[in-house]
Amino acid sequence: MKISTKNRWILGILVLLGLIIYFPGHKFARAHVNYRTGVEDHPLLCLNCHLYMNTSGPIAKMVNEDYLSPINLAVSKDGSRLYVVAQEGNALITVDADQEKVINKIEVGELPHSVLLSNDGQKAYVSNQWSDHVSVIDLSTSKVVDTLQTANGPAGLALSADGKMLYAVNTYSSNVSVIDLETGEEQKRLEVGNNPTGIKLSPEKKLLFVTSRRAILAPYGDPVKTDMTLINDSSRRIEGYKTLESAHIAENLAFTPSGDLAVVTLVRPKNLVPSIQVERGFMMNHGIGIFEQKKDGRIIQLLLDEPNAFYPDAFDVVITPDGKKAFVSNSGVDCISVLDMDSIRALIAASTPEMLNSCANNLGISSRFVVKRIPTGANPKGLALSPDGKKLYVAEQLQDRISVINTESLETIATIDLGGPKKITVARRGKRLFANAGHTFQNQYSCYSCHPDYHEDGLVYNMASKDMGRNLTNVQSLRDISKTAPFKWNGKNQTVFKQDGIRFSTVLTRTEQFSYPDLDAISSFIMTGIHYPPNLQHNPATELTEAQLRGKEIFERTVDQTGKEIPVGNRCITCHPAPYFTNRKLADVGTLAATDDSILFDVPHLNNIYASAPYLHDGRAATLEEIWTKYSPYDRHGVANDLSKIELNEMIEYLKTLSSPDYYESLTKKKHTENTSN
Amino acid sequence: MKRKSSISIHLIIFSISFSGLFFSSCGKKNLEGLMVCTEVTGKIQHQNLWKSKTPARIVAIDPAQPEGNIKVLTEGYYSAHSPEISWDGKSMLFTARQKENDSWKIYEMNLDNFKIRQVTSSDENCSNAVHLPNGRLVYGLLTCKDSANTGHPLFTCNPDGSDPKQITFNRNTYSALTVLNDGRVLALDKTSSADKQKNILMVMRPDGTKAELFYQGTVGSNLISSVSETTNGKIVFVESGAGTPNGTNITSISYNRPLHSRVNLTSEIKGDFQSVFPMPSGKLLVSYRTSEAERYSVYEFDPETKSLGKLVFADAEYDVCEIAVVHQQVRPKKLPSEVDFGVKTGLLLCQDVNFSDPNSIKNSPALQKAVSVEIMGIDSSMGIVPVEQDGSFFLKVIADQPFHIRTLDENGKVLNQPCEWIWIRPNERRGCVGCHEDHEQTPENRVPLAVKNLPVNVPVHIEKIKEKKISLE
Repeated sequence: MKISTKNRWILGILVLLGLIIYFPGHKFARAHVNYRTGVEDHPLLCLNCHLYMNTSGPIAKMVNEDYLSPINLAVSKDGSRLYVVAQEGNALITVDADQEKVINKIEVGELPHSVLLSNDGQKAYVSNQWSDHVSVIDLSTSKVVDTLQTANGPAGLALSADGKMLYAVNTYSSNVSVIDLETGEEQKRLEVGNNPTGIKLSPEKKLLFVTSRRAILAPYGDPVKTDMTLINDSSRRIEGYKTLESAHIAENLAFTPSGDLAVVTLVRPKNLVPSIQVERGFMMNHGIGIFEQKKDGRIIQLLLDEPNAFYPDAFDVVITPDGKKAFVSNSGVDCISVLDMDSIRALIAASTPEMLNSCANNLGISSRFVVKRIPTGANPKGLALSPDGKKLYVAEQLQDRISVINTESLETIATIDLGGPKKITVARRGKRLFANAGHTFQNQYSCYSCHPDYHEDGLVYNMASKDMGRNLTNVQSLRDISKTAPFKWNGKNQTVFKQDGIRFSTVLTRTEQFSYPDLDAISSFIMTGIHYPPNLQHNPATELTEAQLRGKEIFERTVDQTGKEIPVGNRCITCHPAPYFTNRKLADVGTLAATDDSILFDVPHLNNIYASAPYLHDGRAATLEEIWTKYSPYDRHGVANDLSKIELNEMIEYLKTLSSPDYYESLTKKKHTENTSN
Repeated sequence: MKRKSSISIHLIIFSISFSGLFFSSCGKKNLEGLMVCTEVTGKIQHQNLWKSKTPARIVAIDPAQPEGNIKVLTEGYYSAHSPEISWDGKSMLFTARQKENDSWKIYEMNLDNFKIRQVTSSDENCSNAVHLPNGRLVYGLLTCKDSANTGHPLFTCNPDGSDPKQITFNRNTYSALTVLNDGRVLALDKTSSADKQKNILMVMRPDGTKAELFYQGTVGSNLISSVSETTNGKIVFVESGAGTPNGTNITSISYNRPLHSRVNLTSEIKGDFQSVFPMPSGKLLVSYRTSEAERYSVYEFDPETKSLGKLVFADAEYDVCEIAVVHQQVRPKKLPSEVDFGVKTGLLLCQDVNFSDPNSIKNSPALQKAVSVEIMGIDSSMGIVPVEQDGSFFLKVIADQPFHIRTLDENGKVLNQPCEWIWIRPNERRGCVGCHEDHEQTPENRVPLAVKNLPVNVPVHIEKIKEKKISLE
C-alpha cells in the first residue's frame, strides 16, 4: 500500500505533535509524581492517584467492592449454627456449621460489632456501633423484630444472670447501657473505663468485667494505666475498678470455667521510652492480663511475644470448657496463639510478685505457656468455641471467611467462605497491609496498633526523630483525612505517599520500606477507606441546640466581647474554616514546648474532634477546654480569654458537633426523603 | 527474489536468537540444584580454611548424578573456599588465593558462564563474603597477625569491591556468616584472650548499628562451620567441644529465641560433622564422617527424625568440608540505615544501670546502687558520668570508637565489671535496658530522667561537638 505525500505530511505532523506533547508532558508528569511522592523513582502510574484515590462517585464504585468483614461470631447451643457479624456488610450471617455453608444474611444496623444469643437460643442481639442500637433478631424467622436504643457506639454485649437484662458496652461514650429486655427500655447508664469494648459475666454470675481500650487520660510522663470496670449484676452498679498498669487496648476477656482466672488481651506500649530502636521490644509488646479471682487476687501480665518475633494486636480470647487451653487471635500477624492454662497457673504459683513484674517485660516467658501458633487468613478477629470445645471458629476479617480449627490437633480443618467479593481491590489490599505487622521489623506493630479502628490510640509518643526526650507526638486520627493535607504535625508530608515512604521505614518501621505497589495500595486505603463514625452523641440531627448555636457564633465571631475587632489571623474561623475546619496551613499557636524543635504546626481538622482526646501536638491538653483555660494564656490560639466559662463551654459544645461533610449531606438527604414521603 | 532472501535472513536470525534463548534458559534450569562443595586433600588443620596450610578447591556436582563429572570451579587457584550463592542463584562469592603466598581475596563467579572476577584488592586477607540485600557485600578483613590485640573487623563494599566501609569497631575477631531473613548480618565473634575464649554469634544491621548478642555457646564449645537459616525459622551450624561429646555435632537454635533454644540434632550419632546446609525441602545436607579414618562426605539429614539419610556425594581423594546448593531464595529484608557520615557522634541511652540479671553477675554487691558509670576507651578512661536517680544515663559518644562501661558506687569503687566492647555508628541511637541484664528483657514504659537533659559528651573533656544540623522528620 502506497502512502500519499499528503498523508505522509499528516502523519509526520501528528508524530511531531505527539513528540511535542510527550516530552514536556512526561517531564511535567515526572515532576508532579516526584512532588506527590517525595521520591524520584516512583513509577509514573497515573491510575494510582487518579483512579484509586476517588472517595465517591461512579469511579469509586467501579474500583471498590462491598466486603463483609466478619468481626465477631457466636455458636448456637447445639453447635449447628454460627452467627457471624459482618461489620462492613451491616449484616448477621447465619452459617450451617456442619455443612459449612452460609444459610442467610440478615440486615442489621450500621457497622455491627458483636452478637449475643439469648439463654433459650431463640434470639440474637447484635450491637450496631454506628446506629447506637441493638438489633433483636428472631432466629426462627431470621427477622429483626426490635431495636433497643443504647448510648454511643455499642460494642460488647452480655446478659444478666437471670437473662432479663442486656448490658451493651458503649465504646464511644464510655459507658454501659443496662436494658430491660421486657420493656426494651434502657434502664440506666454506668460510667466505665475509657473506650470500653468487651464484657463478660463471671462464672459465679455475680460480677461483669468490662474491658477498656484507651488508657486513663494523664499528662505525658505519667504511667499508662487502663481500667477494667467491675459491675455488680444484682445491684446493676459499679462494684469497682481494677487497673492494668503500663497497658492499654484491652479488647476482650474470657473467664476460665472454674472461675479462678480472667484473661484479657492487651498491648504494653513503650510510648514513654524514646523510640530509638525496635530491637529488643523497645517500641511495643503484646500479651495478656490475668486477674486472679480470689480475695487480694493479683493482676499479672505475660507477654505473648518472643525475643525476635512479635504477635501484635491481640483481639479476642476464648478458653476451652475444660479450662486447659486458651486461644488468642493475634490480628496483626494472622495467627492464633494457643496457651496452656495449667502452665500459666504453675508459673503464677511459683513466682514472687517481683518475678511476675519482671515477666511483664520478658520476651522469653511465652515459651513457658505458648504451645503453638496456628496460621490463619488475613486479620483474625473474633473467636468462638463449639459447645463441646472441640472446634474453634475464627472470624478472618479481611478474608471474608471463617476458619475452623480442631482444638485437639491444633490444625485448621476447614474454612467457610462467607460469600464476599472474590476480587481484592487496591484499597482492600491496602487495608490488609495496614492491619498487618509484616512491614515492621520483627512484626513488632502494625499501623493498626497505634491507629486502632483506623483512628488513634490516645497516646503521646516520643518519636526521637532528632534527639531523645524531645518532640513529643500525639497520635493523629486517620479518619477522612483525604482532603486535609499536608500531614504530620509539622505539615512536612504533602501526601500519604510521602508520609509512608522511605523516611517512614527509617524512623518508624525500621525494616524494608513498602514496595511501590504496596505503598500505592496502603495510600489508597488511607485516603478512601477510613470514615468518621456518625456523630450521634453530639449532633444526631442537623439542627444544633441553642447552646451549640451560641457556641457557633462565638467560633465564627470577628469582634471580642468589648466590641473590638479580632485580628483576622486570631479568629477561630480563619484557621479552621468549614467543611474540614482547617485552612491546611501552618500556624504558631504558642504551644511549642522547650523540648520541641522550632516548628510551625499544621492546622488540624476538627471534624469529630470530640473523639480525639488528648489535644495539641504533644497531647498536653486532656480536654478541649484546657486548650484555652491552660495553654493559651496570651490568646495566641485564637482570642478566647474574654469568654466567660459558660461561653467557652458553649463554643466547645459546638466544636463537639462538627462532623464529616458527608455525614451532614446524608442527613439532609434523609430528611428530604422523609419530607417527600410524608 | 530479493524479498524472499530477506525473509530467509530474518528467519535465520530469529531461529538463532530463539535457540540461543532456549539453550541459555536450559542452562539456567540445569544450574538449579547444582551442589557446590569445598574439598580439601590433606588433614583439615583449622576450622577457618583461610588459616589452613592445606589447599582447598571448590567443585560443582550434580546431586542427581553424584557419580558423574565433578567440575572444578576454581581451577588455577592455589586454594579456594567459602562458596556463597546469591539469592537469585546466578552468582557465587568465594574466598581464594591464586598463589600460595598471595593474600586471600574475594572473587565472584557468574554461574551462567563460570567466569570469575576479583572483587577485593586489599593486600590484607579478606574472607567469608556474604551478599547483603542492598546489593553490597559484607566480609571479614583479616591480618595475618592473629593476636588478641588486633581486631578483625567486618567491612562492606560494592559488588565490584569499591567503597569499602568498616562496620565493626571493637577489637574482636569477626567472621560474617550469613544474612538473616530479617536483613541483619549474623557474624561469628571468635575473640579469644588469655582468660577467656568466646564462641558467640553477634547480630547487627548491615551498617553495623544495633550490634547485639544473638547466641552464646556453652563454655568450651567451638563453632566450626558456616551458619544457615532454614525455611522454618531455625538456624543450624556445627559445634564442637563442651556439650557435644561425640566429636562435632549439628546445633539448631530457633530464630525467635536463639539464646535459649539450643538443640543438639546429632547427639545420638557417632562421628564428626564439618558443615551443614539447609535444603528448601526442610532436610539438611551435612558433611559427615564416621571416624577420623574416613573422609568427610555429603549426606542427607532429617532434622525432624534426627537421622542421617542417603549418601549424596563422596570423593575418595578429598574431604568435602563445605556445602552450598544453587537455588533461588527469597531475598532478606533490605533494612534502612540511620547512619549519617555527616554526623560525628551517636547517642546511647541506658534506662536503668542498676537493673541487672542476678545470674549473669558474679561477686557483685547486687543491692548497692551505682551512682556513676565510667566509660573506658582502649587506652584510657573517657570519663565518669553521673547516673540519674532512676539509674538512667544518656551519652553522646564519638562515633566508631570502641568503649566499654563499668558502674561505680559513691566511693568510686567498681560495682559491675565492664560490659563487652561496644561502638556507636555516626547518628546511631541506641538503647540498653540495664547493665548485664537478661537479654530477653524489654524496657519499662517510663521516661528515663536522663533524657530530660542534654546528653553528656563522651569523652567528657570535649565540651562542644560541632555537629551537622539534622532536620526534624
